[in-house]
Amino acid sequence: MSKTLKGITLKGSAELVAEFFSFGINSILYQRGIYPAETFARVTQYDMSLHLTTDSKLKNYLTNVISQLKEWLFDCTVQKLVVVITCLETNEVLERWQFDIECDKTAKESGAPREKSIKAIQEEIRSVIRQITATVTFLPLLETACAFDLLIYTDKDLEVPEQWEESGPQLIDQSEEVRLRSFTTSIHKVNSIVAYKRTDSM
Amino acid sequence: MAECDAEWELCKENIQPLRQGRTISALHQALCQQQEGNQTALNQKKQAFESELRLYDGDDPLDVWVRYIKWTKQTFPQGGKESNLSVLLERAVTRFTADKKYHNDARYVELWIEFAQGIGTLQAALYIAWSEEHEKRGNLKMADSVFQDGVKCGAEPADKLHAFHRALQARVCRQMMSSMTDQQRDEDDDDEGPADPQRSSLAELKARGKKKAVVPINRVSASAGYARGLQFKQPLGPKQNSRLAIFDENKAETEPQEPKFEIWMAPPTARAKENEQKPEKWSNVKLPLKSRSGLSVTVPPPKPSFQPFVEEDDQPPTVTPCKINPAVNPVLSARKPCRPEQTPLKKLQERQQLMQLQTQEDGKSREQSMYCRELLDSGATEFCFEELRAERYWQKHTH
Repeated sequence: MSKTLKGITLKGSAELVAEFFSFGINSILYQRGIYPAETFARVTQYDMSLHLTTDSKLKNYLTNVISQLKEWLFDCTVQKLVVVITCLETNEVLERWQFDIECDKTAKESGAPREKSIKAIQEEIRSVIRQITATVTFLPLLETACAFDLLIYTDKDLEVPEQWEESGPQLIDQSEEVRLRSFTTSIHKVNSIVAYKRTDSM
Repeated sequence: MAECDAEWELCKENIQPLRQGRTISALHQALCQQQEGNQTALNQKKQAFESELRLYDGDDPLDVWVRYIKWTKQTFPQGGKESNLSVLLERAVTRFTADKKYHNDARYVELWIEFAQGIGTLQAALYIAWSEEHEKRGNLKMADSVFQDGVKCGAEPADKLHAFHRALQARVCRQMMSSMTDQQRDEDDDDEGPADPQRSSLAELKARGKKKAVVPINRVSASAGYARGLQFKQPLGPKQNSRLAIFDENKAETEPQEPKFEIWMAPPTARAKENEQKPEKWSNVKLPLKSRSGLSVTVPPPKPSFQPFVEEDDQPPTVTPCKINPAVNPVLSARKPCRPEQTPLKKLQERQQLMQLQTQEDGKSREQSMYCRELLDSGATEFCFEELRAERYWQKHTH
């Protein structure tokens, strides 16, 4: 991933997108207080200060998921990644961050690099992560202890690895949906939506 | 709508987060409208709520207030003065204080909590009152845990909190002991008949029946001096029934008043409000005369049309009449005591006092408004007759 202006290959694109998810998921976990703020360390990425977890178990889990995701991105078989935030006590889904991934499958055959600089892509990624941070302005306060789960939607004929299990979509009933910015590497396009539970109390 | 899509992100610093989140559509609408400076739609909606407040005749008037407040919160993302939220909350909260029906209505309580805005969460007094409420309902476990919460939050003054906590624990012990002795007593003597088979809670222990042993109980509360709320300091009369003492307003004067805990009888007065002067009677208010020392010579202050109240013992200092021989010094003479009401400052004060008196009298009011005054100012803003009449008119003509 050298910062040349040569363009972007499928492999580079998969890596960029996977990297975005690594920082994006960490940001969500930090911003929404799923894990205590003390367990995060600040790093500089995309020219901004972001938080990465220092919790070893969580770190392990995320690296596993991301490396698997990277493979699927390379194969262009992944459709969606969803971060589901549930109430620990009632198991009710409170928030759902959905990232729709559109893969340009023609990139698999041709293999020619696309004309888009890494800088431009990172610029787009930055604005998505900025928006994730800004969502606190309208998202409800998560008042109970919460857990999170990652769902990945893949093509149907894919063999599920051992550590993965199949699950339902975990949708929220009576939800409010907000579409966030999207970014594209010109091979993978990621659209983000956050859905949250609508509450009627004062 | 497309150009408004990112509006929330551009204005994120001006959006106050809400505990329950915001509906994004309302947020977009509010932000777009603000940008376009389009206030008419807002005002119409507001007006609709205001008139509904006045014309509602269902059996849940709180509902209108709740909807109005919710709408306000969603529509004015930056909060602040123009949202009028604090006024709304205050009105809504004070409106139903007398209404027993709503005292335990979840929505009403939420309004109060919202209104209080975390007031007192670091005050020992809050936890004490809270705990006592639990105790009164017999939930001793909760009473205890509230104290522990208070200690955890570091409520001040901590020693007061601890003192109350100890008192509570002492009361709990006492209660357990007395329940034990009561059981014994019930077994011991039955000549009381069916008097009261149940142990009365929170009551003083009595020597009853054959057992004369009295548990020394007043140690803690007496030493701490904090037995308020629970009537431990009641004089121990032999005839007194061992029930919870019920407040009797006729007897109240004779009994020593126990230190009362400060309860909010009314919401705390809003401080730092602007333009809060209420409309008042102007017809007989006179502009206070600007009587600077120079002017007062030429314009003699008008004689007040009232008799200023003078305290009986507030005699002007009498000047001992001194005999001055006019032959010796014709220039100097005994100076007459200066009339107090002549100084401009005094005059001003008196005038204000008078005005206060007048308004007080007005308040006591032989005055009777022959129009539905309550309807005009029962909302968050004042209505005029025409608005009310128009509402009625439209209502009649749409049905």
